[in-house]
Formats: sequence, structure tokens, C-alpha cells
Amino acid sequence: MTTLRRFCCNDLLRFTSVNLDHLTETFNMSFYMTYLARWPDYFHVAEAPGNRIMGYIMGKVEGQGESWHGHVTAVSVAPEYRRQQLAKKLMNLLEDISDKVDKAYFVDLFVRASNTTAIKMYEKLDYVIYRRVLRYYSGEEDGLDMRKALSRDVDKKSIIPLKRPVTPDELEYD
Amino acid sequence: MASKFGLAGGLPERRVRPIWDAIDSRQFKNALKAVTTLLSKYPNAPYALALKAMVLERMGKAEEALSVCLSAKELLYTNDSILMDDLTLSTLQIVFQRLDHMDLATSCYEYACGKFPNHLDLMTGLFNCYLREYSFVKQQQTAIKMYKLGGEERFLLWAVCSIQLQVLCGNGGEKLLLLAEGLLKKHIASHSLHEPEAIMVYISILEQQAKYGDALEVLTGKLGSLLTVEVDRLRIQGRLLARAGDFADAANIFQKILELRPDDWECFLHYLGCLLEDDSNWCTEQGVDSIHPPKKVLCKISPLADELFDSRISIASAFIQRLQEDSNNKLLRGPFLANLEIERRKHMHGKGDDEKFLGALTDYYVRFGHLACFPSDVGMFLEVLAPDKKTELLEKLKNITPSTSIISTKALGQSITLLKLQVLSGNMFHLPVSELERCVVQMAEIYCENLPLSKDLDPQESMHGEELLSLICNLLVELFWRTQKCGYIIEAILVLEWGLTIRRYVWQYKILLLHVYSYLGALSSAFEWYKLLDVKNILVETVSHHMLPQMLASPLWVDLSNLLKDYLKFMDDHFRESAELTFVAYRHRSYSKVIEFVQFKERLQHSSQYLVARVEEAVLQLKQHAHSIEEEEATLENLKSGIHLVELSKEIPSKPLKFNEDFESRPWWTPTSEKNYLLGPYEGIFYCPKENLNRNLEVGVRRNVERRSLLPRLLYLSIQSVSTSIKENFEIDGSLSDLKISTELKLLLESYAKMLDSTFEDAVELVTAVSNGLSSYKDFGHNLVEWFNFAVFLNAWTLCSDELGGKNADGYQSRTWHIVNSLLEKYISEAVGSLESIIFTPYDNSMRTLVQVVSEPLAWHGLVLQACVRSSLPSGKRKKKTGSAAELFSSPLFLAVRDSTQSLCTTLEVLLEWLKGLVNQSEEGKLEAILSSIQNNGKNDGPGQVFRTLENLTSSMNSTELGHRITETLKSWNTVDVARKLITGKHVMLNEFIKICESKFKSLQKLKQQISQV
Repeated sequence: MTTLRRFCCNDLLRFTSVNLDHLTETFNMSFYMTYLARWPDYFHVAEAPGNRIMGYIMGKVEGQGESWHGHVTAVSVAPEYRRQQLAKKLMNLLEDISDKVDKAYFVDLFVRASNTTAIKMYEKLDYVIYRRVLRYYSGEEDGLDMRKALSRDVDKKSIIPLKRPVTPDELEYD
Repeated sequence: MASKFGLAGGLPERRVRPIWDAIDSRQFKNALKAVTTLLSKYPNAPYALALKAMVLERMGKAEEALSVCLSAKELLYTNDSILMDDLTLSTLQIVFQRLDHMDLATSCYEYACGKFPNHLDLMTGLFNCYLREYSFVKQQQTAIKMYKLGGEERFLLWAVCSIQLQVLCGNGGEKLLLLAEGLLKKHIASHSLHEPEAIMVYISILEQQAKYGDALEVLTGKLGSLLTVEVDRLRIQGRLLARAGDFADAANIFQKILELRPDDWECFLHYLGCLLEDDSNWCTEQGVDSIHPPKKVLCKISPLADELFDSRISIASAFIQRLQEDSNNKLLRGPFLANLEIERRKHMHGKGDDEKFLGALTDYYVRFGHLACFPSDVGMFLEVLAPDKKTELLEKLKNITPSTSIISTKALGQSITLLKLQVLSGNMFHLPVSELERCVVQMAEIYCENLPLSKDLDPQESMHGEELLSLICNLLVELFWRTQKCGYIIEAILVLEWGLTIRRYVWQYKILLLHVYSYLGALSSAFEWYKLLDVKNILVETVSHHMLPQMLASPLWVDLSNLLKDYLKFMDDHFRESAELTFVAYRHRSYSKVIEFVQFKERLQHSSQYLVARVEEAVLQLKQHAHSIEEEEATLENLKSGIHLVELSKEIPSKPLKFNEDFESRPWWTPTSEKNYLLGPYEGIFYCPKENLNRNLEVGVRRNVERRSLLPRLLYLSIQSVSTSIKENFEIDGSLSDLKISTELKLLLESYAKMLDSTFEDAVELVTAVSNGLSSYKDFGHNLVEWFNFAVFLNAWTLCSDELGGKNADGYQSRTWHIVNSLLEKYISEAVGSLESIIFTPYDNSMRTLVQVVSEPLAWHGLVLQACVRSSLPSGKRKKKTGSAAELFSSPLFLAVRDSTQSLCTTLEVLLEWLKGLVNQSEEGKLEAILSSIQNNGKNDGPGQVFRTLENLTSSMNSTELGHRITETLKSWNTVDVARKLITGKHVMLNEFIKICESKFKSLQKLKQQISQV
């Protein structure tokens, strides 16, 4: 039972049960508000009966030429609403907007190399490991750049895995 | 920053770049060197001056920076040949803003725009200045001028947003919306609109004026096609139709959305509401707090006649049936929960059928009973049922729930749901103690039996059945509440600590645990768990309420100070950067976000917690420096002698207060920081309704902050009153401001008394009566500390006023000295005698008030005494011009000061001895007390059973069953360590309190010495 709608500022005061989770980062205000101001269509929230926040997704669209892509910055679901494929629903929404509204070539995301549960989930959603980013997380842990091609990338060129790992300096976008 | 001609602010970019680089890398000395060189070559370049100002400001040289900024401004104003570009102005603006002189930046831009009227960059800068000042009218005027330059859509929308802001956040009347509409219409006629967000703004302008038909025309016309997400467009259409009262068409639109998104619950409610022609959803929005929306569905009895109602219900049922059949998604809950809502509406209409309702609930349970969200999904529906029907339902569900011995995630999920429903329905709270106890033991068994389900999970992942330990804790606290057996509360701690040993990430356990520790006064242990919640950024606004209120009344001042500083820093940083972020929304044409950002900033500005934190931070500083009058005076000076806070206090009654706290995560026994059912009275409360708590809270918070914000000024005036009155008595050049101080102090005391629901006269009478033993401390109600404060300031006031006989011959020995001495002495000695066990006594019942009495009234009175002695004694080169020393030291005032100092010293000595005794009691004894509270002594009931079940069952399982990780974590478990943690938590609190008392004692001893030396 999910009402998906655009995330709004007041939701920042209501997403506590999602964000107290240790794996969910609570960013500073300018981070959230910049996303809301620049990519309002990429920031969605799922609500349950009783107006409870179930989870949310935030992302953006950026790049040039064939690198024009949607990016998932964060996706998180409250403990009460896990194991219901809500993350999938939210991801599909962002992919849909990237694909149909912004005509992006692919959607990507970064995940900790050790977070096998999340990696498995993204693989189920058809994401592939495009490349490894060395010491991406606070200069300590490697990150995996995972991608899913969208309809505009007919030949699926965007997801052909890179043969060598890259360093954070080599990333085109933060 | 550089222009395309290689110039920046009229200067060669190659000369400017190194300065920026140095600033960016915080090499301010190098930056200053470079800028000085630049200025030697271009002494009259405003941009060079602006850069210098920026460097100076970053180096902390605010005054110099301001003076350089003003020179640059002067140059810009007076020298016509000088370049006036946006880079120079925006650099100046940054410095002016950091120096808190935004008005100067605005006037620079205003001047520049006057000089170059059609310069778009400068006008944008000016718009930005008005945005920072939240001057919506000027924003609008500037945007209109910008729009007129080239007819650009975005500037028109800037103007329209500024108009909307005037209406929604300013003083603008709704008539202004007509102007916005007219502007948009005219533009559309000539240029149309091209941005989806612009269409949204246009529609919202029409909707705000209730022009739903016009809005629909826009939406369904050519412009509407710009909204590319179909569901979003349909949602607006449905809403507009419903608002226009066209329920039939609205229902059709919502039906379309449901066909696309069958799980959209909100849409289903709209659909059903429209079918039943119930407008509740569309006319109550204004009364609903969007942060704490009601959990119940907004609806009323349908106005339809019976027959029509039946036919509409049939339509809805058939449609829902179709949605259920069409979907092969097993996780689709919406259409199944819809059955319950339909039954509930029938019930409301007097056509309810309990059997059908129970059937629908049972069916929903069979499908989704294993999900953790089941109880919150159906919570509102349970309320429809009479108690006997609830019991019938629970029995029914019990019969279809698989036996707990079947190990599967689904069976476990259903068992937990059933238990949660029992709690939710209130049934658990009616069980006899022994039965409730059995039930909790059973929960522990289910938890253990199902641990193997989680053996292969990553430690980061939630374990199956994790919620059981939270439920167990809540029920153990209930058992404690009902029986007053402390063992249950100790057991609750053990269960949660045990759960956190197995998986340390469960925030729900941490919150429960910090509340239990706080209740018992182990505040440092509570704070340790709070820190592990990693509360930061916006969470400080929503989560701090779990810890801040206890800390405000605790002796852990360093931790409290950090808590307050972090909180205030977050809030103030946001207020500073909010305008910049709003401008990002303007620039990126996210017009709806512009309005949202401004409203959000206002919401945070009106936060009740923010108000409390501002006042309490000031009070904390005063408490921290109260041992020395010199330090206190410096603190008061920083606080502008408390004037700002008095002004704040005056604003509070008319200020809207917002509660942004997430109260949902609080345990049942303390639904708000103001309430704790464990402190009694012990009457039939169960799962208290959390709705509408805010309204009750508001009155209390408002009154409390209003009163507390007077404290710094009251203290300042008290010290002044003592100083000036004594000088006046003994010195020829005694200050004449005595009268002024006395008048203001009296006025504030009257206000303070009023905020204690009393008149000044009655307040004097009450403190007198209590000090004489004619009334009891209980007559002060919950505000004992505030009444003591009143008595202390009253005494200070009598020193400079004749009204209560203060300055007459025997005035200084008058009753107010006696009142203060007696109140403090008696209260503290009574409290010292009453507390027997430090382990099991709730903090709020004893220590809390004691800590506050010492940290506030006693501390303030100590300062009054210090001020008296300081003013009486000859200091340095100044010699007394009249009055002999003998006259002074035999004066009634001096004797009163001497006696009061002695009285406080004795009281503190007794208190210190007692506190040290508590800490020094044998740790083994305390340990024994804790452990024996959960020992069964051969009985099969009472505290301890649940935890023993957890321990025994898990110890009988091997690592094949539990998995390596769980087995290993359990090896590290030690009950005694947890008991020691509780003791340490209490000791840290007591030791901090001892430190505070010792510091007070030391300064009073010093005072005594000074007095004895004369």
C-alpha cells in the first residue's frame, strides 16, 4: 500500500524511522535541499496508510552526450516496511523518469563493496557492476559503480564493465 | 569568476586568481599578502578592497573587514568612473552578510541598479539581497523589472512566487493572487508557458482562489500536456474536480489512477470519498499539521440516501474486486485493505455488519499477517470494533495462526502480529499480572526458538523477530508499573542490552533503553546510548526530545552544553543558508520548492524546541559560572544583561509554536517529555492516544519558556539591585538608578508570579507560608524550583525597595532572608533524609529537583550573597567616604548576609556528605540489590523469569542452530557487567552533582572567610 509522491521539505521532519537506521546517512540540509531544488522529480517518498513514511529515494540526472544518466544517491526503507519490494518500486520510478522524461542512457549507483545484501538486490533489479572505485568510501572501503542501461542505450554500451578499477579522482561525477 | 576578457572585477585575472586560491585553501596570511600587493598597484579598485575585506573577515578581524568594505562602498558611490560589476558587489555582499550587515549589501546593489537600470546581473544580485531579507514585496518589484527587460518566463515566475510568498508567509492579502493570475494570463496570451513547474504554479494560484474550473481548463488544455507524468496530472485533476464538488468525475479520475497504481492507498480514499460524496478530504487541510497527520482517515457520514449509498458501495466493491483479481502481485495490499475501509464506511452509515468486517480483517490477516506493518495498517479499523468483537477477532486469528514451533519467517511474522494486535487492542493491559507474565515469557520463547532463522544473516540486516524484544520490554515496564516491583525494570534493561549484544544496530532498543536508564537516573548510560543513535543534521530537531529534557535537569552540564550547541548550530546554520538554497530553487525553476523552502524555514524558526534551547543555553551558561560573581557578570554581559530574552518572553504569547518532534518513537509510558506514567498516578492508562498531544503540550511549553526567559534578567537586576542599594547606603556617590532597577525588578517579579498562575502578593504569601511550615512544598505543584527562584529574586528586590519593609531600619533582617534560607535549608534536608536506595529511585522523584534547586535558586542566592559582600567591603583604591566599618559590619544587612552564608554552607555540607555516602556505599551491595531483584528464589513468577528464559534457551542451543556470529556474541554477554553499567551511570550523575555542590560550597566558604576577616 504505497502512495508514491514527490518528497517535500516537511518529509525531512517525518523520515526519522527511516533514517535512524545505521545504514542510512542523514545528510546536511543543503544536500537535501539542493536535490529538491535541482531535481525535484528524482526525490520521491512512499507513504503507507496513516500517512506513515515507508521509505524514499533521492537521485539526480547529469552528464553529457552518452553519459547523460540518472543517478541514485540514496534509497532507504523503514524497518516496518522491508521485505515488500518497496526499494524496487522506488528504483523503478527513478528509472522511469530517467528513461521517459529525461531520456537518459542509463541509471547508476554506488554501493559499498562489502554490502553484499544490497549488491544482490541491485543485481535482481538488473544492475551490473560496471567498475570498482578504489577507496571510494572515506578513503577506506571500495565502492562498486553499478549500472542499468535504459531504452535509449540500444546497444547497452553504457554497461559494458570496465576492465580495471578506477580511483575516485577518475570519476566523471561525484 | 573570471570574465571572458581575462578580467575579474576590472582587474587582471592572473593577479586575482592566487588570492582566491589562497582563500580557498585557508592560507589567509598569504592571501592578505597578495591582496596588499594588488592594492598597491590598484589602490582604488573596489574589487581589490572587497577581496581584502573578505580575507580580513576570514581571519576574524571583523572590524577591519567592515571598515574596508565601507571604503569600497564609498568608492563605488562616489567615483563615477569606477567599474560596478556583479563580481565586486557579490564579493562585498558575502562579507557584509558574514558581518551581519546585509542591509549594507542591499544598499550597494540598490545603488548599482539605480545607476545601471537595465543590468540583468545586478538586478539578479538585488533580487537575491531581497530574498535574503525575506522582503517579498521588493523581490516582486525587482523580478517584474527583470521580466520587463526581455519578457523572460522565469522572471515572471520569480515575481509570481514572490506574490505567493506575500500571501502565504507575509501580510499580503489574497487579492494579490488576482494580480499574479493576471500577469500569468497576459504572458500566456503572448508567449505561452514552457516549464512544467510554471504550469503547477499557475494552477496553484487558481486553486488558491478556488477557481477550480479555470484550473481544470489549464490542466486539460495544451498547457497541461507539459506535465509529462500521467499519474501526477490525474492526481491534480481529481483533486480539482473534488474541490469543485464534481464528485462523480473526480471518482472516475481516481479510478483511472487506481487502474494504473492499484496500491495507491491515498488515491483509494479519495476515490471512495468522492463516490460517497464526502468532502472531508478536501476541506480540512488547513487544520491538519502536515508533520503529524492524523492516523485516522478523514471522513464523515456520507450525505447520500440509503439506496444511493448502497449502490455506490457496490460500485466500489466491484471495482476493488476487479483490482484484486487483475493483479498477480502477492504483495499488493491496497485493494485488500480497501475491503476493510468499505466495511468501516458501511459501519459509519449504520449499515455495518460485524461478521463481514471480521471476515475482511481475517482475510487480510491470512494474506498479510506476517508483515511487520500489519498492525499499523489495521490499527484504525480495530477501533470500530466493540471490545467483545475484538476478543472474538483475536481468538479467530489465533486459531488460524500456525503453531510457533513451526520455524518459518511467515509463521513468526504472524505470531508477532498477533501479539502486537493483543497489545493494540488493549487486551494485554487487562490481563492479570500472572497471565501477563506468562505471555511475556512465551514471547521470549518465540524469540529464542526463531533465532536460527537469522543465523545466516549479515549483522547489518535486521534479524527475524527483532520486534519481540521491544514488545517484551514494553510489557515488562507495564508489569513494573502495575506491581511496583523494581526487578521488572531491571529485567527490561537486561533484555534490551542482551538484544543489543546480539545485534548492536537496533535503534528501537536504544531508544527504549535510554528512557529506562533515564527513568532510573543513570543519565550517563542513557546518554551513551543516545550518542550511538548518531543523531545529526535534521534529526537533531526530530530526535533530541528523547534526551534533551532529562539533560536540562541533570548535572551533566558538559554533555548538555554540547547537545545544546550542536542543536543550535544546526538550526542557525540552516537559517543562514536557507535563502541561498531558495535561490537555487529559483535558478533551477523549481518554483513549488521556493514556497516550500520559505515555509520550511519558518516552521523551524517557530520550533518550540528551538525556543527552549535558546533560553536554556543562556540559563546553562549562568549555571556553569555561578560560582564566581565576576564570571557570572561577564556571562550576563554576553547575554546583553538578559534584555533580549525578556523581549523574547514578551513575543512568546503571540508566537506560533511548532512541534517537529517525532513522538511516535517514544515508549508508551512517556508519550511526551512532559509525561511519564511511571511516576504515577497509577490508574488505568493503556496505550495512550498519541493524537492531539501537541495541543496539550503547547500551553505548558509556552508558559515554561516564557518564565525561564526572564531568569537571566532577573539575576542581572538582582545583582545590580544589591550593588546599587548597598552603595547608596554606605557611599555618598550611591547610584540613583536604584529606583529604576527596583521598578523593573518588581515588574518582572510580577510577570514571573503571573506565569506561576499567581499574583505577586499571593506569591509572596505562599513562599512565606511554605518557609514557615504553614504550607507544604506540595503547594508549589510541579514548579518548586521556579517558586524558589521567585523567593530568591524577591529577597534581592527587597534590598532596594521599601515596599515590603526592605529598607527600613530592620529591613535587612526582614522576612525575605528568612524565606530563602528556610526554603533551601528545609527542602534539602528533607530530600536528603527521604532517599534510601539510589539504584531503584526514579531520577524524577528526588534527584531531579534537588539538582535543580542547587543549580538554580541556591546558585542565584549565592551570587546575591557574593554581590552583597563585594559591595560592602572596601575594594582596592576606593575608600569609603562615609560610615565607619563598625557601622557597616554591625548593620542588619551584613548580619543577614553572614547568617545566610552560614546557613547555605551548613546545608551544602549535609548534602555533600549524604551524596558522597551514596556514592561510597559498597558497590557489591548495590550489585547484590540489582541482581536479587530478578532472582526467583524458587518461585515460578515475579521478575527475572523472562530474562532467564532467554538465557536458558539460547544456552541450550548450539552453534549449528544459532550460527557462528550469534553464538560468539552471546559468549560476550555478562549480566553483572550490565548491572555495573547501571551503577556507573548513576555514579557519574552523582559525581557530577557532587562537583557542582563542591564548587558552590567552596565559593561560600571563601565568602565566609571574607566576612570573618572584617
